Amino acid sequence: MLAVIAAAAFAGPLIGTALGIDPTAVDLTSRLAGPSPAHLLGTDELGRDVLLRLMEGGRISLAIGIAAALAAAVIGTTIGLVAGYLGAWTDRLLMRLTDAIIALPLLPLLIVLAALDLGKLGVPARIAQSDDVSLVRIIILAALIGWTTAARLVRGATLVTKNRDFVRAARSLGAGTPHILLRHILPNVMGPLIVATSLSVGDVILLESVLSFLGLGVQPPLASWGSMLSNAQDLIETGSQLAIYPGAMIFLTVIACNLLGDGLQRRLDRQR
Amino acid sequence: MMTDRLNRLFRLIFTAGLMAAAMPSGAAEHTSLTIGVTQYPGTLNPNIDPLAAKGYVLGFTLRPFTVFDPEWKLVCLLCTTVPSFDNGLAVPVDLPNGKRGVDVTYTIRPDAMWGDGVPVTTKDVEFTWKVGRDPKSPVSNAEMYRHMTGITIKDDKTFTIHDDKLDFTYAAINDFTLLPEHLEKAAFADPAQYRQKTLYVTDPTNPGLYNGPYRVGEASGGSYIVLERNPHWAGKPGPFDRITIRAIENTAALEANLLSGTVDMAAGEVGLPLDEGLAFEKRHGAAYDVVFKPGLIFEHVDFNLEVPAFQDRRLREAMLRAIDREGLCKSLFSGKQQPADTFLSPLDVGYTDDVPHYPYDPARAAALLDEAGWHMGPGGTRRNAAGEALSFTLMTTAGNHSRELVEQVLQSEWKKVGIDIKLKNEPPRVLFGETLLHRQFQLAMYAWISSPENVPREIFDSGEIPSAGNGYSGENLAGYKNPKMDELLKALELELDPQKRKAMWAEAQKIFAADLPFLPLYLRTDTFILPKWLGGVEPTGNQYPTSLWVTDWTVKK
Amino acid sequence: MTRFVTLRLVEIAGVLILMSFLIYALIGLMPGDPIDLMRGTDPHLSSADIARLKELYGVGQPLFGRYLAWARQAVIGNLGYSRLFAEPVLTALLPRLANSLALMGTSFVLAFAAALGLGIAAARRPGSVFDRTLNLLCFAGVSVPTFWLALVLILIFAARLGWFPASGIATPGNGGLDDRVWHLALPVLTLTLASVGSYTRYVRAAMREALGQDHIRTARAKGASERRVVWHHALRSALVPVVTVLALSFGSLVSGALVTETMFAYPGMGKLIFDAVMGNDYNLALAALLLATATTLAGNFAADLAYAWLDPRVSY
Repeated sequence: MLAVIAAAAFAGPLIGTALGIDPTAVDLTSRLAGPSPAHLLGTDELGRDVLLRLMEGGRISLAIGIAAALAAAVIGTTIGLVAGYLGAWTDRLLMRLTDAIIALPLLPLLIVLAALDLGKLGVPARIAQSDDVSLVRIIILAALIGWTTAARLVRGATLVTKNRDFVRAARSLGAGTPHILLRHILPNVMGPLIVATSLSVGDVILLESVLSFLGLGVQPPLASWGSMLSNAQDLIETGSQLAIYPGAMIFLTVIACNLLGDGLQRRLDRQR
Repeated sequence: MMTDRLNRLFRLIFTAGLMAAAMPSGAAEHTSLTIGVTQYPGTLNPNIDPLAAKGYVLGFTLRPFTVFDPEWKLVCLLCTTVPSFDNGLAVPVDLPNGKRGVDVTYTIRPDAMWGDGVPVTTKDVEFTWKVGRDPKSPVSNAEMYRHMTGITIKDDKTFTIHDDKLDFTYAAINDFTLLPEHLEKAAFADPAQYRQKTLYVTDPTNPGLYNGPYRVGEASGGSYIVLERNPHWAGKPGPFDRITIRAIENTAALEANLLSGTVDMAAGEVGLPLDEGLAFEKRHGAAYDVVFKPGLIFEHVDFNLEVPAFQDRRLREAMLRAIDREGLCKSLFSGKQQPADTFLSPLDVGYTDDVPHYPYDPARAAALLDEAGWHMGPGGTRRNAAGEALSFTLMTTAGNHSRELVEQVLQSEWKKVGIDIKLKNEPPRVLFGETLLHRQFQLAMYAWISSPENVPREIFDSGEIPSAGNGYSGENLAGYKNPKMDELLKALELELDPQKRKAMWAEAQKIFAADLPFLPLYLRTDTFILPKWLGGVEPTGNQYPTSLWVTDWTVKK
Repeated sequence: MTRFVTLRLVEIAGVLILMSFLIYALIGLMPGDPIDLMRGTDPHLSSADIARLKELYGVGQPLFGRYLAWARQAVIGNLGYSRLFAEPVLTALLPRLANSLALMGTSFVLAFAAALGLGIAAARRPGSVFDRTLNLLCFAGVSVPTFWLALVLILIFAARLGWFPASGIATPGNGGLDDRVWHLALPVLTLTLASVGSYTRYVRAAMREALGQDHIRTARAKGASERRVVWHHALRSALVPVVTVLALSFGSLVSGALVTETMFAYPGMGKLIFDAVMGNDYNLALAALLLATATTLAGNFAADLAYAWLDPRVSY
């Protein structure tokens, strides 16, 4: 199901071009129209095609979810591996860092991120000025706070794995630390990591919808399911279809992510 | 398929919620009223930290000396007569420094009393003036007090203010809200501590702090304020025994509260934005009186005139002609919000319609752009001879749904004439606190708050451009410089003859329409959602809240 | 063990001090000071007034110096005044903390109790229709955005049915406990629905693992009643991971309900922190954020302790 949603979302631009509809084209004469052959799911409050915007929104939501989850997994794995394998003071330090990150207040961090002038940080003007900046900010934020789960998980698994016979054997054969970490330990922690990552895709999508609710999410002209949903809460009575669709999409996608994680987990358990 | 089933389930849950009908209000007698607002007033001290929600609550509980009424006339609420040169209560004086000042005499209403039975006297006047003049005091609007160089007390009720500046607003002391000397004096012993020590904070339910028809009976931090009758109020009594003001910040939740009967009405001053008000009227208009009133919050798009391209007036006019403000107002705001052509409200005495108009005319806009050297290039974006693209960033406040919609409409319309617009929204505190203040923007959509016959010198005067040199003060964010405008506004302020002033206002609006330092959009309209049984609520269309006239409110049978 | 506890406490204190500076710096880095925000609301505020007020509030002094001054006062228990509420920080903070604890505590207990019952029932019949349905519902619960859930609940239970009030903490003038509980119903329901799903899944997973363990089989073989096996033997070992998860979510007790509080106009810590940060109320934001941080750290610490006590295999 997730694949269907993703495929539909990423096919959006193609369909749009094929039908000759621009998802950002504003048409004030046909606002909040019901479903019609031209607009299968009707139009929104600016007369834009709801179906296409849903696909666009899905692309953004999924992109944020997947990118942030992957980034978090990479950071978390690195830190977890190092902490778990080296142990002692490195471990303590990294785990306290993890604690600190978990306890870090989200909100001021977000506002500071939103206010940072990327141009000053040496980011090329072309990127700093582009529409996607608000998106990148959310991905960075979600990854920054999301890696702790992966780190704890990987650290735990590493602690167990590092004393297994095959790792000891490798070490006695003179394998270097990076080699052991990547070739022997990483494959063994991969399973739970994949499960956790697939779950966190859903979490990030929900996080984005909350940020949109607070007015700190994806900014126009981009739209995510979260921002579409939180905009629609004001129109809950006149344009309820605007609220139902993105709400349902978030719901289905998050469920799909969870089911995927759950399925993977089950398969993993069976293999053991 | 599961998807289908879930979808149906979701829809079912949803429709159940939608079928919510307005509950009939329980109480038949209507001896109390619950008002929903979207903001909780932080502190209740009238002279510290202005806030719209606070103004609304204090309207019930404190009488200002003078205010502008719904007809935009200056009236006395706490005084007996509005001073003027004709009635001799205002006398121009020549000051030693060669400038002209004015002495203005007011008399406090003889029946004015604080809620603890202590009469309102000139002692309170003198004390309030002292608080306002103290350099260490936290009073926000100290400008007014700086000009009040002295006060002469005649008796318990009559006093004369010596103002060192004679301008046409000489009679208005709207912000001079009295503090009860018998209670607040001790709190002001250390001016630097006054913010925290004031009884409005430490003991907000003390009846002696209020002199209006109502007093604060209960203040629950952040949630609600209960107002009770002021037993010592001598004027016409208000219609309710108790008025509860509930803060519900989320507007969708505020609507639900109206429907559930938890609140009876939504205040227009701090209530639903227009688009939600319109939607509410559509669904529930039969059960409520929904009143729309354009206010004095002026939405516009600022050009940063430091951007070279914007220095060409033709481009500015083209951008105004390229947007269909009429159509936008009609479709998004059901015509309840009218496009503006000048910076004054049509309700203002200085307003004139005799200015150049720039109706929607994309062909003319395109011609102007061609004329200015911006020719259509590949990809639908215009370029000049140097090959630069006609591309700008438009900024506004993130999270403001209505502005987000409008900016996307503008973007789409400008695109049609070959102007590429990128959108960049920032949280209000970032936008106002940093980006606009330091003028790091190209185009910015935001609003100004005005008042009746307010001379907008902070906005138009070339000396009010924020820069590192003046510590980033002033509101002239566009960087507008026109010596003629500077002088006209300076002279306008000092002109006492209303007829001459009218001509000057007309002149100023003409200069504005000719220069177009920013694109006027519209005056924001407030939505008042009132129960059918409530009458007499008359929105003023200026910043003075309806609550000041609560004694005119009635319960219909 | 004592050594472990002491060491962790020292570390927690270290992290807290570090965090206090970090939070201070973060708030300081945010653009826009309170005075700049004020000018948007008053057309008469002049440039001179703005300069004067900035001086008065001490805005514009170097960050580190301000931090040290704050820390010196904080250590002796003076957290300063809240700018938004013009009250001492604690006076503004404590009632909202109590509100938050009432809201979060109730829904925490309810969600946990429900999760325990449901999770155990599901674990005893793995793969049954009940188990599958419950699993799906759990996913559904965690997949709905909270603000959406809250709005639907308000529309159904407050606007349509009129069973519960749509907002607030109490009816003005009525401070009774029953009134408070009545007002708590919908926000608690929202939070409980939002969290019961993930708790149930943890309980179910832990319980299934426990039921498959050797000592359970031994107990069964010895002829212990099924009830005793489940509630005594299995639950005990299942509680280890569950308690850990609970302790970790402890941190959200203080500040985790921002969305719910906003939707129900419920004055709690989440909303307080949001307003303090947005309104640049330094002292208040700092105290509230530090409190939230401390609770989270304490939760993590409790999780470690629970691990150490309940599971003899873990040694420190």
